[in-house]
Amino acid sequence: VRGTKTTVLVNYFDELAAGLGEKIRQAKDGEVARRRFALEIARLGRRLFSGEDKVAWCGVLAPFDLLNAMGVTSCFVEFVGAILASSGNVAALLEEAEHAGYSTDGCSYHRAVIGAALRGLMPRPDFLVATSAPCTGGVGLLENLARHFRKKIFLLTLPQSNGERGAAYLAAQIEKMVEFVSAQTGRQLDPERLRRAIEYTNEARALMAEAYELARAVPSPVRSRDLKNFGVVMALFLGTEAAVEISRTYRDEFAMRCERARHNPPPPRLRLLWIQNRIQFKSPLVSLLEREYDADVITDELNAITWEPLDPDDPYTSLARRMLSIPFLGPIEHRIEELKKLAKSYRVDGAINPCHWGCRQGTGARGLVEAGLKEIGVPVLNLEVDCVDPRNFSEGQLRTRLEAFIEMIGQSRRN
Amino acid sequence: MQERQLIGFACAYTPLVLLQAARFTPYRILPIGEAPDRAGSILHDNLCPHVKRILDRALADDLPELAGVVFMNSCDAMRRLHDGWGAARPRDRRILLDLPMEAGEAAVDYFASELKRLGRTLGEWGGAALGESAVAASAECYGKLYGLLEEASRLAARGKLDGGSAKLQELFNLSVTRPPQEASSVLEQAISEAPSASGGLDGRVPILIFGNVMPDPQAFSLFEECGVRVVCDDLCTASRMHAPATLPAGENYLQALARSILSRPRCARMLDPATPGALAKDVARRARESGARGVIAHVVKFCDPYLGRMPAVRDELRSTGFALLVLEGDCTMRSLEQHRTRIEAFVEMLR
Repeated sequence: VRGTKTTVLVNYFDELAAGLGEKIRQAKDGEVARRRFALEIARLGRRLFSGEDKVAWCGVLAPFDLLNAMGVTSCFVEFVGAILASSGNVAALLEEAEHAGYSTDGCSYHRAVIGAALRGLMPRPDFLVATSAPCTGGVGLLENLARHFRKKIFLLTLPQSNGERGAAYLAAQIEKMVEFVSAQTGRQLDPERLRRAIEYTNEARALMAEAYELARAVPSPVRSRDLKNFGVVMALFLGTEAAVEISRTYRDEFAMRCERARHNPPPPRLRLLWIQNRIQFKSPLVSLLEREYDADVITDELNAITWEPLDPDDPYTSLARRMLSIPFLGPIEHRIEELKKLAKSYRVDGAINPCHWGCRQGTGARGLVEAGLKEIGVPVLNLEVDCVDPRNFSEGQLRTRLEAFIEMIGQSRRN
Repeated sequence: MQERQLIGFACAYTPLVLLQAARFTPYRILPIGEAPDRAGSILHDNLCPHVKRILDRALADDLPELAGVVFMNSCDAMRRLHDGWGAARPRDRRILLDLPMEAGEAAVDYFASELKRLGRTLGEWGGAALGESAVAASAECYGKLYGLLEEASRLAARGKLDGGSAKLQELFNLSVTRPPQEASSVLEQAISEAPSASGGLDGRVPILIFGNVMPDPQAFSLFEECGVRVVCDDLCTASRMHAPATLPAGENYLQALARSILSRPRCARMLDPATPGALAKDVARRARESGARGVIAHVVKFCDPYLGRMPAVRDELRSTGFALLVLEGDCTMRSLEQHRTRIEAFVEMLR
């Protein structure tokens, strides 16, 4: 175990996992998908903090299935920021980073992680993998962590285009990354293990696609919290059996809910698209939507599957293609087109964009995103909010704006 | 002689040599002027003022006639500027070029292919076909300009350039808004008029100015009024705008150009995986080599690459014995004027 502070976190994840396991066993209504997902997060947390595994801190778009196949427990660092925010203990860590000179204008996911590292709450990794996308701030964070931990860092530069040239450039870098990881861990990549990991990834992808297809139904089986952070965190489990099991559980649960709704149709509710990040700390916004405004977030931008199944015979190129399919690269038109596709296929009434303070890549183009969705008749509510830092959260103001927005889309629906 | 058409650009990593070789004149759209603040209607207000003020200029049509605009995918803000430009001036021709974050061989190869794509695009915009000799001639032309700017910088550092560092900044601005030959002529004139006797420090404190965007010559006048002698700069609107491009025989000229661009003094958005924190070490080295007694960092608000590296820069400078003053600005003199007292106090402390 790497230190007393991280031991406390290991105990926390153990207790969390035990509690979730018990709840899953006791569930009588078959509603276990979200808990199964959370259980895997707890297990991942334990592995990251226990000191027993090889650990890599990474950028959001790192090929986690490949790292899993190499026996490395890896995680994008923003995940830690989100966990800290949801635990309610993030404010002190943000202050720690700010006292060390990190600007309050920067991303609070990143500041929370730096604060945790400075306080000795981040386990020392074996190495780091930075990804040049989705944001330049993330590269800076990983560079700072590499400096802090005195560990080696590998950089994956993602070009903006998914064409042959870009994919070949990135695929060659991924191949180099495998050499780098082998050098850091002393472990070679076993081709059979990679093949199996790719099979798991593809199976999970197919099941997720089925779950999303069910989510598009009217009425949707999805409740606002079901898929919070789902797509982005599932990336960490790709290449493992756990990803398959979680995806299957969601698929089955949504199918069951659709069946129930067929026999006993619920009253109509508003259908919403959530753009980019959820608010990670406890806030009443989603409850307000569900209880007071009869509205559900039925799809998240970050959950969309934008990639084709991986090719086990050409793993590096297909991993590169998956990474480059993410709509946050290159010009905004690509992202707007993907958002339009999501909005149409889920038949949403409106979209909520929590304009995370400090996020240039995601929030930066909010005016263009709003205009793009308006073209297909989907209104967007831009909220001024920080998704990780609760210190300036203004519930009253947000409630008023939410109320006005819901009223407006309810009215246009009636018309 | 008929003036060449202008190609707009905003990032210091733009391959000016290619624009000039295609018989265009590069025109850096600097974040200056009085265009009203309207960019927030397209982009979020939390984007860096450099980008927003450039977009303000586009929205206000405060620009010369441009044959096209070249954007570099150098940071999130620059990418968003490309997007915002499309909304502000949908009829403008534009291209977004990828810019790798490091200078390894694979990155050089990929960037060279991006330069090739730029060459094709410039041809479609009415430019001349690019060939090795045209690019070599352009590189030589910019090499001369670079040498003259270096000489002018040396003179300014010794107090021998008439007009001081404010004049030097005017020359830097000229070098990216007028044809390089014209800028070179003006520089030659300025250098020839330099007095032979050194101005000495005149009681001023030698300082390295480091950061990103500060194109307004008045900013340098302000520093001088506060007792600063700028002995070296590390700004993307000054010395980092130019770097010599050597095109060795036997190497593909686009490869060579790509390597020279990726290897130039780094913007904070670059990452040297072999040396995390390399930017901080660079700043300390330049401060030492230039004889600076302290460092003033000027960073525009919301610039993630620089804001994220400032703690490392502070640590490095502290450990090497250099005082640091950090100023955040919004590319206006108004914001810089607010720091006058702090600059004066910093200089006083170093005397």
